[in-house]
Amino acid sequence: MSDNTQHEEELSPTPGQRVSNLFKRNDVRRTTVFTFLWTALFVILGLYIYPKFMPEVMSVDMKAMERIMVAFTVISAPIAGLVLGITTQALTNRHTGNTPPPDGPAVRTNGPVVVVWSVVSGLFCLIAVVWGLVELNTFANAATVDERTALHVEVVGSQWVWSFKYPELGVESDKLMLPVDRPVTFDITSADVNHSFWPLQLGIKIDANRLQTTHINTTPTKLGRLDVKCAELCGLYHAYMETSGEVMTSDDFNNWVTSNGGHVA
Amino acid sequence: MTTLHSTSTHSRPIPNPAKSLITKLNMGTGVVVGVIFAFATYFAFRPAADASGFYNQQNKALLGAMLMWSVGFLIGIGAFIGPFRWLIGKDLTAEEQLYLAGDGQGIKRYFKYCTDHKVVGIQYLVGVTTMLAVGGGMAMMIRTSLAVPGGHFIGATIYNSLVGLHGITMIVAMIIVATGPFGNYIMPIMIGARDMAFPRLNALSWWVLFTAIPVLCSAWFLGGIPTGWTAYAPLSIQAGPGMNSFIGTILIFAVSTAVAGMNITATVIAMRAKGMKWNRVPIFVIGATMSVALAIPAFPTFMLAMVQTATDRVFNTGFYDANVGGSGWLYAHLFWIMGHPEVYVILLPGIAILMEIAPVFVRKPLFSYNAAIMGFAGIAGLSVLVWAHHMYISGWTPTLNGPFMVTTEMISVPTGLLFLVMLGTIWRGKPWMKLPMLGLFAVMWNLLIGGITGIYLSDVPADNYLHGSMFVTAHFHYTLMGAALTGAVAGLAYWFPKMTGRMLNEPAGYISFWFTQIGFQVLFLGMFIAGAEGQPRRVVSFAAMYKYTNMISTAGAYLVGTGFIVLLWAVIHSWRKGVIAPQNPWGAKTLEWTVPYPVPLENFDEAPIITSDPYGYGKGN
Repeated sequence: MSDNTQHEEELSPTPGQRVSNLFKRNDVRRTTVFTFLWTALFVILGLYIYPKFMPEVMSVDMKAMERIMVAFTVISAPIAGLVLGITTQALTNRHTGNTPPPDGPAVRTNGPVVVVWSVVSGLFCLIAVVWGLVELNTFANAATVDERTALHVEVVGSQWVWSFKYPELGVESDKLMLPVDRPVTFDITSADVNHSFWPLQLGIKIDANRLQTTHINTTPTKLGRLDVKCAELCGLYHAYMETSGEVMTSDDFNNWVTSNGGHVA
Repeated sequence: MTTLHSTSTHSRPIPNPAKSLITKLNMGTGVVVGVIFAFATYFAFRPAADASGFYNQQNKALLGAMLMWSVGFLIGIGAFIGPFRWLIGKDLTAEEQLYLAGDGQGIKRYFKYCTDHKVVGIQYLVGVTTMLAVGGGMAMMIRTSLAVPGGHFIGATIYNSLVGLHGITMIVAMIIVATGPFGNYIMPIMIGARDMAFPRLNALSWWVLFTAIPVLCSAWFLGGIPTGWTAYAPLSIQAGPGMNSFIGTILIFAVSTAVAGMNITATVIAMRAKGMKWNRVPIFVIGATMSVALAIPAFPTFMLAMVQTATDRVFNTGFYDANVGGSGWLYAHLFWIMGHPEVYVILLPGIAILMEIAPVFVRKPLFSYNAAIMGFAGIAGLSVLVWAHHMYISGWTPTLNGPFMVTTEMISVPTGLLFLVMLGTIWRGKPWMKLPMLGLFAVMWNLLIGGITGIYLSDVPADNYLHGSMFVTAHFHYTLMGAALTGAVAGLAYWFPKMTGRMLNEPAGYISFWFTQIGFQVLFLGMFIAGAEGQPRRVVSFAAMYKYTNMISTAGAYLVGTGFIVLLWAVIHSWRKGVIAPQNPWGAKTLEWTVPYPVPLENFDEAPIITSDPYGYGKGN
């Protein structure tokens, strides 16, 4: 019995030995190095490049958006690294000239590889799905909770201007003024064709549709300038359909309301 | 079609059914009859300048003229002679059918209603190249205009039109870029068939498509397409007469794709050589068939959307007009139910071409044929369930954003399988760095970037920011241009010897490859950053803060443009004066390399019998 076992071990290496044999191969080693290099590049891209170029984070939604960009890049970095690692390795092994290269090994498939690859990409997909659903749920809950205290802003898009009405305060404006740290609900509609309301630094966007009111919530978390754009082609001067705004302290906001003929609730 | 026994191209006399009408019809007679039909329709419906409802009647006259041009052209070229004979209980004679196959008629047959699949393939190749060149020229104008902020170069009217025309021209061209030329010319030979299942429908699909091209061009003279290629309502209802060109193009194009799609699908199902079981079919054939089969349900919804846009514009039906109870969301749904499968209609053949190329150039079998099929099938299946991710922020039903996010992100799994197949095939091989193979390496990078950025966009909170920005533009150019077009160009380099009998000029091909690919990265990586910074799409003017990224993008665009001009030169020059190609220059094992050039009518002297799949490369195989 014991003789038999020993005999078998000599014939087929243990999984550990197989892995260590694998890493003795030159192409596997090169691939590993390239994979690490490419992975590092994508991690750097995620951690530094995106946050550097994206506008200032001025709301919880923008924060969540930036977190997703960074996290998804970093999580997908090893997969991207492996794909590009194998590709780069193949390039180092290239054949030139006018005659075909020598025959490679006639490997038609490799069951475990296909299974592991599918499972890993499935897991990555699962992480992305769960992450997104949790964020969506968080926003939906926050919107429900904030509904009672939220400041309502009626946004109207028309070719090619934005206008903002604060029904509770009796103020209208062509600039988007918001108090900091107070939840806000936008009720958006269009006077003509489709527009898309996009206050850049708040990280939210929703279409303005004719005779429909759409809603979106957020909470500005930081003082500063807002850029409002239209993100849906709406005719000739679509490019110029933009305005600015400001997130201000609640005292400044109240002053702005009263000085524009409104009343502070 | 009557079975005709093929012997050799040269020994067969040119059939000359002299009394038959079909010998006298060609593209010229088609154009004449088409133009007469168009003008007759236009003058019959043309409104008086002071007529009430002037715009509705003008739309009716213009759209009617465009559609009647198409019908007239097809009558004039003889497309309906066969069906007319059926009505009176007859059919074309065997001699007439042989004449229609165009054998021995030289260059003239390319301008006739020719049923030979190889002629149709070349017609598609020339047509697609022309459309890509025109669409590319428009892209250069767009990028030139965006080189500096302010939009002073061409102005908002022309800019918006260019964006729409570039979009729809490229989409139409990309849908047929692989399945048109290679699906018609190469695929029947690859499966060992003598022709397509329905040769007359094959000719019909090309000539119907041909009639769409002047209709699309007419937009230039009617005030342009100001809506982008998505043609969202109610903007499309508000738009001027140029919008009719868009509607007309899609109505005609949808007929062409339906005919071509059914024909290719039927051919692959019914015409495969003896012994070519489903697991022995070359992977390009599988990918191309899934692509056209996906188009069969997709395009009718686009056609429906356009019919309703047309009736809204002509009869004030108000399908999309909220004022009378319609909804723009209805249009958006119909459009994207076509629109999302459509991007995979474009992508799948490009990837399938690379999978066909890879085994030949690394001398290894295709890695996991089954994974490739599962990848294609998974993508095709899921792609019809994801359309509303284009409408996350439209506000129609925010509750459903979650489910659509799930289906969309699931596409990453079958896409991963496609990567695995290509990686597994090149692993442990020595890739032969010829022109076709370069495309595979470029696509690995481009599709990866396109795929990862697609995952951000599929995530609702991220899309809340990125939707409608330049980021989206860059993302889909990475998939459609970086992956699908690069794959199609690789296919052109690969099959050029079989289609023209000559080798594609290699130095020019390499120069073109590096210019287009490097330029492409500069162009669209710059655009990703502009989008992340917050520059919306389709804007003629942008704020000064986007100055540098746009300038970089424009510089990249000029590199891409240069590269494609070099490629166009290489194709034209090689076609006329290139090195004569051997029968099988790459040593490939698929059937198209077993036939000589010029490929004889009905392709094979003796019908081939298949005993294995075509990937028996490598040691011990």
